[in-house]
Amino acid sequence: MPSLRIDQSDLKCKNGCDYFGNPQWQGYCSKCHREQLQRQRRAEKASSTLPKPEQKKPEKSFKVTSHSSFSKFEEKRLRQSETLKKANLLKFSVFKKSSTEDHDHVAEKKQAEFKIPAIVNEGMKRDFRLRFPNLTPHIDRDSRLFAHSFIMDVIKHSNILTVDELSERVQRQYQLFMKHMDTSPHFVNVDSDTKELLIDFVEKHSMKYLHELPSVVFSPTGTDDERLDRVMSERIQQLSWVCETHLECKLDRNSASCRQLLYKAISELLGMDAALSPGGKVARVRRACKHVLALCGAPASADDLLPALIFTVLKANPPRLVSNINFVTRFCNAQRLMTGEGGYYFTNLCCAVQFIENLTSESLNMDKKEFDCYMAMPASIGGSAWAAALSLCGASREAEEQMLQVEKLIAHTKDLKDKADQLANNAETFEKEIAKKVQDVLAKTPLEIKPRRELPRLGSLKTSTSLLVDIDAEKILIEKSLQESTQLGSTESKDNNSAENFAVEIEIPKIKMDNIKNQPATSFQEEIDQNRFTDTPKIQHEPIITFSQTPEEKSPSKSPINPWELKQTNSLELLTPSPLGFTPFDSRSIDELMTPDDFGSDQVPGLSNVNYDIDLSDLSGDNSLAEDTPRDQKDPFSPEPKKLYPFEPRNPFSPILDKFDEFTLIDTKTDQPSDAFEVVHRASSSRDPFSRDINDSFTMEKDGSLLDDSNSPTSTCLLPSPLLPQSSKPN
Amino acid sequence: MAREFDHLFKLLIIGDSGVGKSCLLLRFADNTFSGSYITTIGVDFKIRTLEINGERVKLQIWDTAGQERFRTITSTYYRGTHGVIVVYDVTNGESFANVKRWLHEIEQNCDVVNKVLVGNKNDCPSRKVVVTEDAQRFANQMNIPLFETSAKENINVEEMFLTITKMVLRSKLEMKERQNVSPNDVVNIRKNHNKGRKKCCQ
Repeated sequence: MPSLRIDQSDLKCKNGCDYFGNPQWQGYCSKCHREQLQRQRRAEKASSTLPKPEQKKPEKSFKVTSHSSFSKFEEKRLRQSETLKKANLLKFSVFKKSSTEDHDHVAEKKQAEFKIPAIVNEGMKRDFRLRFPNLTPHIDRDSRLFAHSFIMDVIKHSNILTVDELSERVQRQYQLFMKHMDTSPHFVNVDSDTKELLIDFVEKHSMKYLHELPSVVFSPTGTDDERLDRVMSERIQQLSWVCETHLECKLDRNSASCRQLLYKAISELLGMDAALSPGGKVARVRRACKHVLALCGAPASADDLLPALIFTVLKANPPRLVSNINFVTRFCNAQRLMTGEGGYYFTNLCCAVQFIENLTSESLNMDKKEFDCYMAMPASIGGSAWAAALSLCGASREAEEQMLQVEKLIAHTKDLKDKADQLANNAETFEKEIAKKVQDVLAKTPLEIKPRRELPRLGSLKTSTSLLVDIDAEKILIEKSLQESTQLGSTESKDNNSAENFAVEIEIPKIKMDNIKNQPATSFQEEIDQNRFTDTPKIQHEPIITFSQTPEEKSPSKSPINPWELKQTNSLELLTPSPLGFTPFDSRSIDELMTPDDFGSDQVPGLSNVNYDIDLSDLSGDNSLAEDTPRDQKDPFSPEPKKLYPFEPRNPFSPILDKFDEFTLIDTKTDQPSDAFEVVHRASSSRDPFSRDINDSFTMEKDGSLLDDSNSPTSTCLLPSPLLPQSSKPN
Repeated sequence: MAREFDHLFKLLIIGDSGVGKSCLLLRFADNTFSGSYITTIGVDFKIRTLEINGERVKLQIWDTAGQERFRTITSTYYRGTHGVIVVYDVTNGESFANVKRWLHEIEQNCDVVNKVLVGNKNDCPSRKVVVTEDAQRFANQMNIPLFETSAKENINVEEMFLTITKMVLRSKLEMKERQNVSPNDVVNIRKNHNKGRKKCCQ
């Protein structure tokens, strides 16, 4: 028969070299096959795709047609793995970044064409810290080093050695590591249990990685594992009619708990395939067997365990069972597999699988004919009772899980709600605080605005001197008062503080007030000051607050600390001279800025003169500003005044000054130059820029300033409404 | 190096189903013996630490399924086993007859291993079928120590386990000694030479 004849060319290597090919080498000669394999490997290294069944199938016949489709498939897979590789590289690079701080360069050492991704290293490091927090970094490094060399070794030899040789090699590696631990000085203080754990640790991580490389350690090329997997799976399916009575195991199919246990055992067995390391797989098997043991009833012995386990395996039909078992037996640390609980149960599983493989009518104690009948039966018929029970179990289990999930979700939502409430509360309190602060700030802000506006007034002063004089007078008065207050001492200030709820600013003014008279607490410094010096209790209010800040600072620090105050005063003074004689005023201001002390004394007389004129005008302008501006837009300023609060009451002298100085300096600077230059050039428009310069928040105040300016000349008459509240305060 | 034991041995209990393997195991493991440490993991897998001649020996005892149909598949159990306890039931002649098969099984799976023969359920003379003399003769013939025990009455159980443990320990120490005698032989020829010389000297 021609069809049965095999042409010699069919036996030759597919690559066309003169050697004979071999179906086990997929039609290649040994050399070409190895090359081919290596090529494949390289492409697959980084990919985690599962080995495709087609790869193993070809062993039976390798016709040209099948080969062509195979090669096409190979090509596709190559392409696929290439993209995967790229993705992996991307991922690794990300990981590498985070790992730069450490000394992984050892493990990341580059190999010819293949590099172990840093993720392996990272994972090991993290896991090591988690599991062995007490061990030294030397051990950590050693184990990672070993894992690295281990992986490299396996990959290097996976193409060359048969699986059994590779397995031996791996076992030798384990022993090597054990030996290393026994001899290395790093491991002197490590007890043997921990060493075993360390071996497991290394095994776990290196095998976990190798497991994902297709056909290297898990159902490797050159073995029948995959085919056997299918055979086993089919066989188990065929044996689905086998029930507990056949195996003589005491299972109560009517008991719900029994079904539950069986279900758990089955799910553990199914989970074995998902575990990547041999240790993980063994652990799954152990858990499964525990459930099976519980299934057998209280004093279960091996006589009970094995049949029950066989039954469980039959019902579970775990995927890739043979591959998994072979993987574990080959690459698990043999020492552990031969001893220990996990080893025991795994051995039992091996026995169970072996039993199923060789299952005959005798092993079920049944008639051969009956057995054959059962085996001929389509797989779908048998085992329906258990299947139903198990599916019920599965459903109930799923329901349980979902219930759990729902509960979790509920708890989570509750948690979220609580947090949301808290957040709302926080927001509320925050809002209140802000509002409070804003109010405080508002109280303070008008003061700041007014001095600057007064500066513009200076411009107006040129036209109408009286306004300028007023301001100067006020400031000078304040300075004096400050000096006095400092002398008087802080004791009074404390009393005042207690009396007033509000900002420190207010308190300071009070101090001054106390010094002067026992006026109502609400009235401001400036008012007090003015009252004092001028002997005319005129109502000047919030606008003065800017000054109030200065006085506050002044009060704690007698002279050097308040450079800006001085400057302000200087500017004021500059203004002050102007009433006396306009021309010297600019030059003076510049010169005097630097010398705060001098100017208090010098100006006092001049100021006193001026004061009388100015008082009225100031009152009107200040009042209007203070009340109008704060409410609108003093928020931005708020933080600054806040700072003032804590400092002043406690230590009126030292800490505040710095901050204030910065602040004040800026203000003063803006004020001063603006005063000098702008005043001259601009009459009304100049005021606006000043206000801007002064501070962010003062855009609002511009209106006030305008009002002030306009008001100042005709101060008393123009602004009745703002005045009213102010007047009420002092009086 | 705080190790809780100096040696770890794996023992296997084999024998027909129903001869009381598990009971023996339970009795041994649950016995509160002074200085002994018990971990109850499963009924079929027991660990117990004994102290023999000042050396702490951790015993790991594997129970096996004894059913006839499982006989052919239990070979994996033997891997790495240090000692085997072959159990028969003195009230069951068949179980004693099967001992031969079990011993054969051991021979097939292990090269050298320490064995003891145990006739269990030796607590009811009236029901005793396997006469001690027969068993003893057989044991002598196979060069295996024989113990007649009762897990139920706790007779001889401890002694039996102690004996097998001592045997295993002794053979291990002997092995170690032998290795120490010719420690650094890298080449086989060398080793043979050394050995020969040692023998001659002795």
